[in-house]
Amino acid sequence: MAESILLAAAALVFLGVLLGATRLVLGPTVIDRVAAVDMLTVMSISMISLYALVAGRLIYLDAALVYGVLSFLAVIAVARFLERGL
Amino acid sequence: MLQLFVLLLCGGILVSGVLAVTLKSVLAATVSAGLASLFAAVCYVLLGAPDVAMTEASIGSGLSTLLFLYAIRKTRGSDGDD
Repeated sequence: MAESILLAAAALVFLGVLLGATRLVLGPTVIDRVAAVDMLTVMSISMISLYALVAGRLIYLDAALVYGVLSFLAVIAVARFLERGL
Repeated sequence: MLQLFVLLLCGGILVSGVLAVTLKSVLAATVSAGLASLFAAVCYVLLGAPDVAMTEASIGSGLSTLLFLYAIRKTRGSDGDD
């Protein structure tokens, strides 16, 4: 049961990475690409958490935590830049 | 399985790097360079180095993007394009 749930979660993460990468490559405007990068950041955090569960090493969750705390910084910076504020 | 994931992430780093070099817009190139270091951080975690991944995430994806944007803002001339 838990195995199949993990497999489904991995498949969903893979689908999300695929869709985000598609939008990143195709995206006509900068804002599309920024949104794609934000989505790929969330997908990376979930990927790290899944791998921490699979590998059984809880120290990997610290990396996901730091990543979650700091990941909004780039998106905020680009948003301020687009609004001529930086 | 793990090797497949690492290879996929390395492919992501490659695509992001090529996009950062070839994109016309400077801002989109900066975002793509940040994405390359994002994939590199996940790659480090999968290879068993979470502390390196933390440093890469904070410096590569956060600080260097901020620094690039600041530099673009400071150096843009009158004929600058987004």
